[in-house]
Parts: sequence; structure tokens; C-alpha cells
Amino acid sequence: MLRLDRRLLQNVDWPLLGAAFFIICLSLVCLSSLNPGRGISALVWRQVSWIGIGLVCLIVVVSVDYRNLVRAAPILYVIGLGLLLSVFVLGRTVSGARRWIHLGPFTVQPSELFKFIFILTLAWALTSVRGERLSRAALVGTFVLLGVPFLLVVRQPDLGTALVLVPVLAATLVGLGIRMRVLGGLVLASVAAMPLGWLVLKPYQRDRLLVYLDPFRDPLGTAYNVIQAKIAIGSGQLLGKGVGGATQSRLSFLPERHTDFIFAVFAEMWGFLGCLVLIVAYALLVLRGFEIAAGAQEPRGRILALGVTTVFAAQVLINIGMVTGLLPIVGIPLPLMSYGGSSMVVSLTALGLLLSIRMRQFH
Amino acid sequence: MDLKPSPSNRREAWGRRVLALAVVTSVGFIALLGQLWYLQVLEGGRMHELSEKNRIRIRPVAAPRGILFDRNGLPLVDNRPAFTLSLIPREMDDRNSVLARLSVLLKIPVGELLDSLDRVPADSIRPVRVRRGLSLEDVTKVEERKLELPGVIVEVEPQRVYPTSTFAAHLLGYVREVNDEQMKQGRYRRGDMIGQSGLERLLDEHLRGRDGGERIEVDAMGRPVQVMRREEPNPGAQVVTTVDRRIQEAAEQAMAGRPGSVVVMDPRNGDVLAMTSSPAFPLDRLTGNVDRDEWSRLVRDPMTPLMNRALQAQYPPGSIFKIIVAAAGLQEGTLTPMDSVYCNGEFHLGNWTFKDWKSGGHGHTDLHGAIAQSCDIFFYQAGLKVGGDAMAHYAQAFGLGAPTGIDLGGERFGLVPLSPAQRQRSKRAWQAGDTVNMSIGQGQLLVTPLQVARMMGAVANGGILWKPRLVQRVERADGTLAYNSSSKMTERVELSPVVWAFLRHALTAVVREGTGTAARLPGLEIAGKTGTAQTIAKSDSAKGQDHAWFASFAPADDPQVVVVVMVERGGHGGQVAAPIARAIYEAIFLQKVAQVTLGESG
Repeated sequence: MLRLDRRLLQNVDWPLLGAAFFIICLSLVCLSSLNPGRGISALVWRQVSWIGIGLVCLIVVVSVDYRNLVRAAPILYVIGLGLLLSVFVLGRTVSGARRWIHLGPFTVQPSELFKFIFILTLAWALTSVRGERLSRAALVGTFVLLGVPFLLVVRQPDLGTALVLVPVLAATLVGLGIRMRVLGGLVLASVAAMPLGWLVLKPYQRDRLLVYLDPFRDPLGTAYNVIQAKIAIGSGQLLGKGVGGATQSRLSFLPERHTDFIFAVFAEMWGFLGCLVLIVAYALLVLRGFEIAAGAQEPRGRILALGVTTVFAAQVLINIGMVTGLLPIVGIPLPLMSYGGSSMVVSLTALGLLLSIRMRQFH
Repeated sequence: MDLKPSPSNRREAWGRRVLALAVVTSVGFIALLGQLWYLQVLEGGRMHELSEKNRIRIRPVAAPRGILFDRNGLPLVDNRPAFTLSLIPREMDDRNSVLARLSVLLKIPVGELLDSLDRVPADSIRPVRVRRGLSLEDVTKVEERKLELPGVIVEVEPQRVYPTSTFAAHLLGYVREVNDEQMKQGRYRRGDMIGQSGLERLLDEHLRGRDGGERIEVDAMGRPVQVMRREEPNPGAQVVTTVDRRIQEAAEQAMAGRPGSVVVMDPRNGDVLAMTSSPAFPLDRLTGNVDRDEWSRLVRDPMTPLMNRALQAQYPPGSIFKIIVAAAGLQEGTLTPMDSVYCNGEFHLGNWTFKDWKSGGHGHTDLHGAIAQSCDIFFYQAGLKVGGDAMAHYAQAFGLGAPTGIDLGGERFGLVPLSPAQRQRSKRAWQAGDTVNMSIGQGQLLVTPLQVARMMGAVANGGILWKPRLVQRVERADGTLAYNSSSKMTERVELSPVVWAFLRHALTAVVREGTGTAARLPGLEIAGKTGTAQTIAKSDSAKGQDHAWFASFAPADDPQVVVVVMVERGGHGGQVAAPIARAIYEAIFLQKVAQVTLGESG
């Protein structure tokens, strides 16, 4: 199964891989410059080992025909659903949310893993029904299939991950040429369903949501983080303060500085020019992804490539948007930059999927 | 679109739509760059300045704890502003040297400071309270050296203040910082002050209120420049209790520190007017800082000052139990008021000899006289006539051996032998000698002062057993009611009216001419019963051996208060407990008594 065709190797998308590894290197520099004395280096080594695991996954995914992965989607779907459910039983509560389960020395975040399975299931559901056009039955079936895990993720609550899944679905449907009338109807329906969801939520979840929408509801908590992040980014100015001068980050004014807010650390150290480089790298990666999606020869590859690319794009846009104060705060890691094993492994695996599709483009 | 698009057409359409998505995404990236340009280039200078002196501080504003009032609106506790020394972990650049300086300055052991800091994340922005009740002198020292002490602040917090150190200590309870165990419940924040015993604990949810907070900008010296946003704290709710501060004070004064307990209750509704337990613990030293020496001293004290004797200490009732024996006998017909016994001071049963408390005895005694004089010989025989089972049955009917249902925690049940529950547990067969012992309230019988008060209440009001009530209502700061309670009747003792009348009459005689004359007050007819309960452990004779009881109510013809006095190892009930009750009655009916005294002298 792991046989690699030499012809396949010729089609490795080096720009895509290059952009990804450039970003990973920036991430490691950032992580290691955060308080060098205080055991952060252990954190860097851990991240490096996660990158290693991610690379293994990437190679495995590359060497497998993605069509087989799509065929295996139902099994993966059941496993993913089981993992999501297990969070409610085995999960550890960290600051009010149950997102992690313990596997030996590691804690795993199943909702992160589920993004990947979500896309595979999407491709499987939308292509296994025959027909030229997107049939209504396939559409409804897809919604039911993906709605259940979506609600589970919301219940954890992991609003960030749930929020990323919505654009993926929307982009896929647009790509498949869903009629605008139907799409509009869906949007209206989901807007109409919001108050219903509001009723289902527990009071503390409602509070949390309100804080998401209006950080100033909780002036002592979230708003402080937003302000500190903005100051950190802004004070980087054009050229940045360098590693040593990044007082905001190093004096720990920033919250979550090695996970969700790592972009602020980067921005303070490297300034606008650094940010420009980073964002261009991300844009390169994402646009290359769209290109692969556009060029894929058969439906499964298209949907997969589009899904993976949209996940990437959505995460990058939402994360940086929230850190720079354009969007409300939700817990979303910056792919390839943020510290965190589940996120890194899943990102690299998704990258592998893109590569795999690209390599089999002409077969 | 075509009805039947060719594959190449479809591919083209797909490509166009993906392109559209890519364009949308690119717009997003450009928006991000725009925002970054704005923040870093246009606003960069200002932001840089802000970061240079990153001086946004967050200060919680503690909510004042709700006040506990007595039934007449007098405060039982109050708040006053107090200085609290706090550390902000995130702002302490060099933790060790700051702590060292602070420790030398205020003479606080570094270990104590570290102890508090270690419980929170090192980058916490919330102040950690390390010492409460800072003196003005210490506050000045800290303010003077502010520059050398980054991350050290002095907060002003409302703190409990008490009328006196031990006033109503058990009833009110102490307030202290939430401990590790309570943190696990997840309802509190580190540093929260919560009620740990008594009413403070019972009503903590209402009393606590909700802390507010403010975001302030400070300059490089750490001095506040401006308050950017302030959220007012939500003060705790006010509690109106059933306690009468005047009576509580009088009761504590009358006890004069003797170990024991006083319970004053309203027999008409079960309101607890006063409840003391001595020795008491110093509330003010347990509130705020954890005074470890004081705490370990209190815990180790053999006199157990932390125990609320009114409901957590169990004693043999002694002669007070004769009320139950008489009630049982009269109601069941095994005793009549006409029964008479010649008391020569001794009673023989088999090989045992039971003595009267009065050597030489009381001579010819009927039931009325036996209650008034507390004649043991009469009751030994009465007990045998009534029978152990009937005594146990009536004891339970009067609420003994069962919790009174008061809202304070840790109430003890007491013990009534021969009750169905006890029967299964006891290993030894019941003997006639046990019945004899039980008839004067000795043996295995155990009661709490609160149970006795409830029982006397039933004698006073004709059989109603009230659930003791401590809280009348809880009013939120905005004036709405958070809690409102009415009196609850839990049980009713059914006795013939003749029996009630006889009991009340006999109990009046106790004070008028019997063992309780020390409680007599001119102008007030008091009905009561003395008790002198032998303690099981007679070893420590130096302390005195008998518990002194006096259980009473007044006015006898229209009972308004029940007063139960219990002095641990105090001696004779009539000599020790009755005068204390008298002093309490004097305070309660002060005006009435004063009028009579004036009338007599004038």
C-alpha cells in the first residue's frame, strides 16, 4: 500500500511544502524566543516532536490514494464520532470546556481531529450518490451526517472549531454549484435556527457567547486580552522590536501567547514587514490549495482539496482577525504556528492530503 | 446553464467557482494586511508608547458583605473598610527580590507570601490577597517604597467588624478566605471571603454579593492615572434574623463565661431570640488573616470553644426529664395528682439503693410537690409505674432523640433509650434499675439545650413543637426579597388540657416555692424546672461534677419566652442555672420589672 510511484514523486508540490515549512520555522523561532529561561525550550522540543509525528502522517497520507481514504470515510466517521462522545465521558475540563482526552502522556483534542474527518465525510457523502446535479436527498443526508458531530463540538463547547466547519461546508456547496437560491435559503434557515440554539444553551454558555460577541461585557477578562494583543501588535511598528525587545510578549502581558495569540508575539517581534512575509506565505499556501482544487480531475479530489484549503483559510483569517481585533475572540489556533500537538498533526496531515491530490491529478 | 453540461463545461464551471472563492479569501488576507497597517504603522507610535509603559491594571472591587440584623433592626455585625496587601503575579518582574524586600519591610515570612502566590498561575493578572487588615503604618511603608515593589498593591476591602470579639460567635459564625477544599466546588474565586460557620455559612450565597472591578491606567510609578472602566460591585443581601440583640447580650453576660449554653425561644412561633455557647471563640481573630496559632489553640482546647453547645453538645437532662415522666403518667393514667409517697431519702430496688438528692428526704410528697421539690424518691416509683416504654414514647413525642430541624449544621440528635431505633442497637437487656435511672433523667438519656428549649416551648404553648427559626427574611440590595420564612410546626404533643394545666401549675410552684426560687422575679410569674445532671465521668472532681439545668418559660399564664440555661459541671441547677435565667428574664422584661419595683418602693 505504501508503494510510491516514481511518477508521483515528480509531481510533489514544492511551493506548497516550502511555504508550510517556512511558516513552521517561524513558529519555532517564535516559541523558543518566549522566555528562554523558563522551561519554554522543553515546549519547543515537544512541538518539534509533534512536527515529526505530523510529518509521518503526511507521508502516510501522501502514499495512500486519497480515493481510498474517501472510501474509508464511513469508518473514520464512526471513530471520530466515538472520540467526540468520549470527551464527554473521559474528558478533562480546562477552563470550563471539555475538549481534551488523555491518551497516555498526551492530551488529544478530538474536535481538532474531526475537522479532517469532516472533510472526508463531506466528500464521501456528496459523491457517493450518483447524479449529475447535487440532488436534494444527498444534500439533506449530508446535513444530517455532519450535523450530529457539529452539535457535539458545539456542546463541548468548542465554538472555534465549530465556526471553522461552517465555511468549509459553504465553500464546498458553492464549489459544487449549488443554486444561490438554495444557499440563500440555507443561510436564512440557519439564521432562523439561532434563537432555537440559544434556548438550548445553558446560562453560562450564553454568557460566554455574549462575551464572544461583546468583549466589554467582561471588562476584567477577555477585553484585557484583546487590548494587550493590540498593543503588542501595534508596538511592533514597521520593523518590529526583535526578539529581545518584545516586552509585551516576554513580560507576559499577553495571554495564551504560545497558542492562540502567537501571532501577536510574532507581530511584536517582527513588525509589519514580518507580518507581511508571514501573510504572504499563508496566502501562497491557500491560493496554491485553491489551484489544486481547481485542477483536480475528479469530484472526490476536488471536494477534498477545496475543503482542506477552506479549513486553512478560515483558521488563518479568523485567528489573525481576532488577534488584531477585527473579530470577536474565539479559541482557534493559527495553523502551523500555534503550539499544540493535535493542531500541528492535523494540519500536516491535511497538507499531505493536498499533496496527494495534486500528485494524482494526472492519473 | 446547459441542461446536460459536458464534462469539460462542468470542469470549467468548477474552476470559475473555485476562483471566486479564492478571490473572496484573498480579500480577507488583504483586509488583515490593512488592519495590520493601521495598527502597526498608523497607530504604531501610540501603541509603542502604550507598551513602553504598559499600565493597564485590573483591580477587583470587593462587594460589601450583607449585614445581619436582629429582629429589631439592630446590626449584629457590620463592615468597615480595611486595607489588604495584594500581589499581582504578572506585574512582579523579579519575584524573589520583591518578596524579599516586602518580607523585610512588613516582617511577613517569605514562606507565607510564597504560599499564597503558589496557588495561582505565575501570569495571573488578578491580585492575590496575602494579608488582610493591614495597619495604617504598614500601608504607609508600602506606599513609600512603591517603586521598589512592582506588583505590590494595597487594596481597600470591606471587612467584618463585630460588636465584641465573642458576641454571638457560634450563631454568627466566622468569615474567612475560601480554602483549597472549598475551591474544588468551583463556585468561588481564589481570595473570596466566605462564611465558614453559623449563619454566615448558612446564608453565604445571599450575603456574599458579587464583586465588581475596574480597569485603570497607571503611570510608570504605578500610580493610577485614570479609571478607564468601572463595574460597581453588587452588595450582599441584608438578613433579618429572629435574634434579639439585647437578649443575646444579656444571656452572654449572665453566663459570664461559664461553660454551657443558653437558648431563648419564643414558644408562640419557634423564633430563636438568643442562643449562646461558651466558651466562645474570638470571631475577629478568625476573620481575615488565618491566625494559625490562634486556630490551633482553639482546635486543641479541651473546652472545645468551636463547638456550638446549644445544638452540638449532648447532656443527660437530669430532673428536667421529670416533666416528661409526669406528662406520660398523667396522660396514660398510671399516675394521678393524688398519688403520694413518703420520701425518707432512700429507695430500695433489689440489691440497689437509690438516693434522693436531699439527704433525709422530703417526707410525704404528692406529684405536685415532687415536681416542685424535685423529689427523686417519688419519681423512682413513678417511673416504675409509668414504665420505660411509655417514658421513651413521650420523650420522643416531645422531640427528644431527634433533630429540632434548625438550619445550622452539625446538630446532634441526643439519645432516648428504649426507642425502637435504640432498642436494636443496645446490647444489654433493659432492667428495672434502668427505668429507675431514666425516671430522673439519668442513664443513657442525652439531650441538647435546643431540644430542651423546644420541649419547654411545647409545655408552654400546649403541645406545639416548632422548628426553631433563625432567619426571618433576606432582602437583596435592591429591596426585593430573596428569602422569606414563616414559622413551621413540626410535631404536636396531644395531652389532655387537664394535664397541661397541671404541668404548668406544678412548674410555677418550682419557682415560687420549690427548687427554682433563685429565678424568682417580682412582677413576673415564671414556670420552670431545675435539673442537676450527674456526669458520667466523675473523674475530674475539681471542675465540679454535675451539670446545672434550668428550663423555664414566662409569664406562666401567657408564655412569651422560653429560657433554657445549661451550665456544664456547674453544680446544682437551682443554685447555678436558675439565677442566670433570672438575669435573662430581668433583661427581657426589664420595663415591666422596673415598673413593679418602682411601684413597690414608692
